[in-house]
Amino acid sequence: MEALDIRLKFFLSAIILSVIVLISGLYLCQIYQGDKYIRLAHNNRLRMIRFPAPRGEIFDRNGVPLAVNDTTFCIMGYPLDLNTPEKLSHLSKILMRHGIPFTVSDLEKTIKQQRLAPYRVMKIVPNLTMTQMAELIADYEFPHELFPLSVWRRTYPAGTTAANIIGYVGEISESELKLRSEEGYNGGDLIGKSGIERSYEAELRGSPGQEALEVDARGRKVRTLDANPSVKGEDLRLTLDMGAQKLAVELLKNWKGAIVAMNVETGEILALASSPVYDNNPLSWGVSGREWNAIMNDPSRPMLNRAIAGVYPPASTFKAFMSIASLEENAITQSTMIACRGGLRFGSHLFKCWKHSGHGALNVIGGLQHSCDVFFYQTGLRTGIDDLIKWGKKFRLGEPTGIDLPGESGGNIAGPEWKMRRFKSQWSGGDTVNYSIGQGYMLMTPLQIARVYAAIANGGKMVTPHLHAKGYKLPENIGLNPAKLEIVRRGLEAVVSRGTGSRAGRFGVHVAGKTGTAQNSHGDDHALFAGYAPAEAPKYVAVAVVEGGKHGSSVAGPIVGEMLAHLLSH
Amino acid sequence: MNNFWANLKENLSLTDKFIILCPLSLSLWGVFCIYSASGGSSGHGFDYAIRQSMWLLVSVISMLLTMTAGHNKFLEGAYYLFGLSLLLLFLTLLAPKVKGAQSWLGFGGVRFQPSEFAKVAIILTMSKFFSRYPPLDFKTFIMGLGVIMLPVGLVLLQPDAGSAIVFMAISFGMLLAAGTPLRYLFGLCGIGLSIIPFVYFFLLKEYQRNRILVFIDPMRDPLGAGYNVIQSRIAVGSGGFSGKGFMMGTQSKLKFLPEPHTDFIFSVFSEEFGFIGVMILIALFTLLLIRVLVAGIRSRERRCKILTAGVASWIWFQMFESIGMSIGIMPVTGLPLPFLSYGGSSLLSTFIALGLVASVCVEGRSTRHEF
Repeated sequence: MEALDIRLKFFLSAIILSVIVLISGLYLCQIYQGDKYIRLAHNNRLRMIRFPAPRGEIFDRNGVPLAVNDTTFCIMGYPLDLNTPEKLSHLSKILMRHGIPFTVSDLEKTIKQQRLAPYRVMKIVPNLTMTQMAELIADYEFPHELFPLSVWRRTYPAGTTAANIIGYVGEISESELKLRSEEGYNGGDLIGKSGIERSYEAELRGSPGQEALEVDARGRKVRTLDANPSVKGEDLRLTLDMGAQKLAVELLKNWKGAIVAMNVETGEILALASSPVYDNNPLSWGVSGREWNAIMNDPSRPMLNRAIAGVYPPASTFKAFMSIASLEENAITQSTMIACRGGLRFGSHLFKCWKHSGHGALNVIGGLQHSCDVFFYQTGLRTGIDDLIKWGKKFRLGEPTGIDLPGESGGNIAGPEWKMRRFKSQWSGGDTVNYSIGQGYMLMTPLQIARVYAAIANGGKMVTPHLHAKGYKLPENIGLNPAKLEIVRRGLEAVVSRGTGSRAGRFGVHVAGKTGTAQNSHGDDHALFAGYAPAEAPKYVAVAVVEGGKHGSSVAGPIVGEMLAHLLSH
Repeated sequence: MNNFWANLKENLSLTDKFIILCPLSLSLWGVFCIYSASGGSSGHGFDYAIRQSMWLLVSVISMLLTMTAGHNKFLEGAYYLFGLSLLLLFLTLLAPKVKGAQSWLGFGGVRFQPSEFAKVAIILTMSKFFSRYPPLDFKTFIMGLGVIMLPVGLVLLQPDAGSAIVFMAISFGMLLAAGTPLRYLFGLCGIGLSIIPFVYFFLLKEYQRNRILVFIDPMRDPLGAGYNVIQSRIAVGSGGFSGKGFMMGTQSKLKFLPEPHTDFIFSVFSEEFGFIGVMILIALFTLLLIRVLVAGIRSRERRCKILTAGVASWIWFQMFESIGMSIGIMPVTGLPLPFLSYGGSSLLSTFIALGLVASVCVEGRSTRHEF
């Protein structure tokens, strides 16, 4: 017992000793060096500046620049130094004197928007040119506590030609900031808002540099305590071919619609046009609310990327899929002949063929070649909606293709289950008839159509469309019977060589494909064409959708023909 | 029921009042600090202060109940409590992560940190074990160490290095009080020192290594890990002799201090109350620690002596580390300052531990009366 008490007393002495150590430390800190720390706290002058990293640049497959960085200047300052209205009006006066329109309320708004800790530097006036900045600095009244910071401004040399692909950047919004607070974003940082800029944000972003400064009571830099340089983001080389992209945009100039051109084996996108176009340059530099509303409320919807988010009835381009499904399900064979007398009476309704005089007796190759509706009405009824949906799912209809762009639509595969959910009514035989020629509830994006045709061209592999090698996924074989697929391919060749799509074959390359004319209740019918070339050993697939283009054969067919010819000759 | 009140009254009259009043006044002061540190009425001040007050009420009641029930009952069930703590620590590993570590368990809407209650269980278990088997020979010494390593290992998996260090500090204090031969204790220190390079290079995470490096030289990384140390020292130092006054601290208000209501509560305290306030605070802590150890010295039971040493080393270590960290004489670990930092689990478990000590006092005095 005595021994333990000695230990406890020893412990007690050790505690008292340690308390003496603490008191000495606190005495040193609070009394001996107290004045120094009071001064430091009073002007807490340890300040941090963040240097945005230059964003990775974006190029097309041949190195043509699509997104680059220009140097511009910002005026930076600290909330602590700008907390009086006089200071703001003084600054506004100087800015106005040099022709930079920034009122006091503009300044207040920018400051309020960034809501940072008072010691964090923030952007007060953005986007000044070198000349403007030089003039301001030379002005003897320019406040000392503000300073210029060179920043990178994003410009898009291709502008309208590739805006729907590249997208644009903008200041991070409050909700994005909350969502991504773990990733080291700060208020005022740029972030990809759409397109490649958004889907490859992590690669393009780079890491910002930081500098810790000690500044004096008036905010002037005394010395640098520490600095980490910024690291530029990763440059991206896309699969896009600007030559083909320019041609596609040119071909759609007077129309609304979309063009997709893709490598059939890999899913590399070579062109992805959507019309009408918009310019991404002003969006990246910051547009006013009014300009923004004008773009968003434009009835022709230029911001809608029709190639991946525009949904259309596939119309007769769907007949290639119908042929595969019915041959695979043995609902028909190559020698099955069906007679067309200009229409099919089903129940009380007469479903007409587009050729009112009728096509006579046709097999599947003839059905495709002449795009006979009655042939496919019959085929659809023989196959049955359940098997059509089963094959639709194999071809991934109704789900996004997984392209490396944000905002893709999955279209609608429709079917009995969907109709019950949506309209609370039974799927009828008439619905199947309509479904068989790609009209009615079924909706697809131009990109989805391109992927189905790529699978026909490559022997039954579903590719993942992508614009950068990182988006590549191994194509998935859906197991088509080669002999049956060959029949469909011969039909698609016949469409161009001697059928409805002959105008797609006038550009010197051997095209196989299918026309389509989608009924449009709001105006002229939409024209579609989906095709690949060369027909015997396909390399590229192209799809054109022209809104209000009336006939697939006359408008969309030549567009696809010219696209394919361009791709094969370059 | 009457019996209970009579018991409580008798215990209160017999026990050492300082063991109840010191932590109570420290905690009340802490509630005000938390209110200020979390932004007063414009921030989360009310929220945090009210929640902390509720926990304080629960803690004081628990302390009185513990005292009335008596330490003997707790010591009887010590091994069960130890097993339960190990189970809870294990369950925590299955819980979702908060700030990168799994140290919380939810229980009917109340979240608590099992590692805090494990400290009480460790103290009870070690008191019982070392009084029955004094660690005088090498074999029992090693057995004792083995038992300690179980909870230490579990909290290291969370990973919560801070709690592991506290567990080891508690155990060391108890080994010392239990009469372990000095050569074993020196040996333990020697082993501890010799594995430091191994721990430093292989076990510590990058951020933990940075904390050690900035402890040696805060200016080597003034933006990152060193920032907290520099800003905390500015906060403490700028409190000066008499402080800036309650709610008048600028360091925490301007968000220079990280976690001002938990890890860096002392910095807020000393900025606002100055050297005078700090002296009173340290005096209260020291008085409490002295009374806890005196209770041990006066007790006639071996296990009570060891128990008080465990409680004292716990409170002492966290106080020394938390205050030392804020002036830069200890590395940053993120341990709470007992009674002052925001956090219910920590408050409740320290009060329960002090309830045990209060009960030791009661017994010490009542037996004396009989003679």
